[in-house]
Amino acid sequence: MMLWRQFAMEWRLYSRDRVAMFWTLAFPVVLLLGFGTMFRDSGGPKLSVVRVLTPAPTARDAAFDQALTDQQLNVQLLSKAEAEARWSRGETAAQVEPSGDGYRLRLNSYLMAQGGAAAGLVNQAWLVAQARLSGGPEPLRIPVQVESPGHRRATNYVSFLLPGLLGLNLVSMGLFSVGMVNVSYREKGKFRRLAVTPLPKWIFLLGQVLHRLTLTILQAAILLLVGRLVFGIQNQGSFSLLLLVMALGTGCFMAFGFALCSFADTSEGYAAISNLVFLPLMLLSGVYFTLDSAPGWLQHTVALLPLAPFIRALRAVFNDGASLAGHGLGLGIVAAWGFAAFLLALRRFRWS
Amino acid sequence: MTGPALRIRGLRKSFPKVLAVDGVELEVARGEVFGLLGPNGAGKTTTLEIIEGITPADSGEIELLGLNWHQHAAEIRSRIGVQLQSTSLFNKITPREALELYGSYYPKSRSAADLLALVQLEEKADAYHITLSGGQQQRLALALALVNDPELVFLDEPTTGLDPQARRSLWDVVEKMKGEGRTVMLTTHYMDEAEALCDRLAIMDHGQVIATGTPASLIANLEIPSVVELTFQDAAPDPTAFAARLGQAVTCRGDLWEIPTPDPKALLPRLLEAAEAASVPFQQVHVRRATLEDVFLHRTGRSLRE
Repeated sequence: MMLWRQFAMEWRLYSRDRVAMFWTLAFPVVLLLGFGTMFRDSGGPKLSVVRVLTPAPTARDAAFDQALTDQQLNVQLLSKAEAEARWSRGETAAQVEPSGDGYRLRLNSYLMAQGGAAAGLVNQAWLVAQARLSGGPEPLRIPVQVESPGHRRATNYVSFLLPGLLGLNLVSMGLFSVGMVNVSYREKGKFRRLAVTPLPKWIFLLGQVLHRLTLTILQAAILLLVGRLVFGIQNQGSFSLLLLVMALGTGCFMAFGFALCSFADTSEGYAAISNLVFLPLMLLSGVYFTLDSAPGWLQHTVALLPLAPFIRALRAVFNDGASLAGHGLGLGIVAAWGFAAFLLALRRFRWS
Repeated sequence: MTGPALRIRGLRKSFPKVLAVDGVELEVARGEVFGLLGPNGAGKTTTLEIIEGITPADSGEIELLGLNWHQHAAEIRSRIGVQLQSTSLFNKITPREALELYGSYYPKSRSAADLLALVQLEEKADAYHITLSGGQQQRLALALALVNDPELVFLDEPTTGLDPQARRSLWDVVEKMKGEGRTVMLTTHYMDEAEALCDRLAIMDHGQVIATGTPASLIANLEIPSVVELTFQDAAPDPTAFAARLGQAVTCRGDLWEIPTPDPKALLPRLLEAAEAASVPFQQVHVRRATLEDVFLHRTGRSLRE
């Protein structure tokens, strides 16, 4: 009963801050619409390559350009001067230019991820163009098949993006919103009056967790609805499994926020501490780059972090319609982190 | 319901740079309005917050309503009411909601409507907290301190920053609490407030209690029931030479000299004669009865307002 009142009051007060509430709900939708529209029909952002024009184009140049386009590369034809200016601005990742009797491929050492991927395609296009010119058969290629871990093939970029947004949202709400709000309220003395009442700390904390949990679910519902109406993508799995994964993740990252804010006295201090946790969590999650070549101990440690198993489970349900059969250990790790963080938060929580 | 409402023995608390509470001993009887009077930084608020269970003491014993914090924390919290020196609530909570919410934390609570009427806040019952004036916020804090129908109420500087009219109406509420049989402990640095409201009081300075008693007995014990004041047009001149001539202590405060005396009738002719002889350019002479202010001055050599 006390918990219910606390929860209801959290919601009532929160809903009076219209601006915060609007952006909390609208921001993920804006991200989804923005990225989704940009890359609507593609499998993701297209790789670009700059092609420096030859003064007197030959049949070979034409065949090469055609082959580059056939490789799904975004080819930008520029004059030598234009290309050079663009290169100097650092906007070019890969540039094909005439050199002596043939061509040369220049790669930007700061943009090796895009450049490296483009280089493979450029070389393939070159082989194709040569074959076409000599009238011979096109070079045979090993068939490529793009497929999700749940063996679903027809994934487009938006359906890949959506669960990532759901997950990111929830992590940022836990680590940034919840923690920051609590530290700044404590800093302003808004909790001191509660310290002299018999209100138990766990009810106060759990009331906030439940409020944020329902808020994330509302946020997710809006995002799913927009995904469905605008991009025609839908949850492939069961909604109750999706809800379960979301609830587990919200609980875990909210508890993280509460635990972290007990280590900061000021909002400035909290900003530093939360980044200290957030950045490694993101970078080491395996979402941005693979850790295959990292030392063994690091890989073992990273496997115990909660973000990657959470996102994996979310994508498995949402994109592949899978059950959670293979995700028991991963979700167990998420739950364990959440529980440990909540206990730590409860132990270290102070009203002033 | 026997024994004192509050008993404190050997209370000590030091912060990294200051000894805030230095061996405070107090006893407050049930149904009494008890005041802690002292200048800013005397240790009043720290003492109060230790008693309220917000700040842990370094050492000392506290007994509230016959209970102690180690064994009966939950019961103490449900039987005391607290007004903090500054009560910061959520910006967009209304007085009615705040009273209902805080009431819900207690086993028994008074109705929000009654409390709003008690502190005359009915008109602002549904306004956001952030839109209330300082006096209205202070009145709400007072109502919150009464939400659980407490036996023992702590008020930390309840009238600081209020205009005279708002102070008067707060005094009325404190009188009502006393009438309802509650024990009230309050801090203040206004001597008139201490005199008007408190049955008994303790004067604090530098973390210590330097005197305890009823306002009347504290003044009577001074044995200087009267003070003669000479007022000047501008800042008063240095009284050292004049004090030597008069053979009596003279304190200079702003635009006046103060000369405490047990017998103003005997002092006045001598005083006027000496002033005439030294051509002291004073404008008026007042004789007034000593106040708590003079008690503090006499004990510490300093003024309460400094």
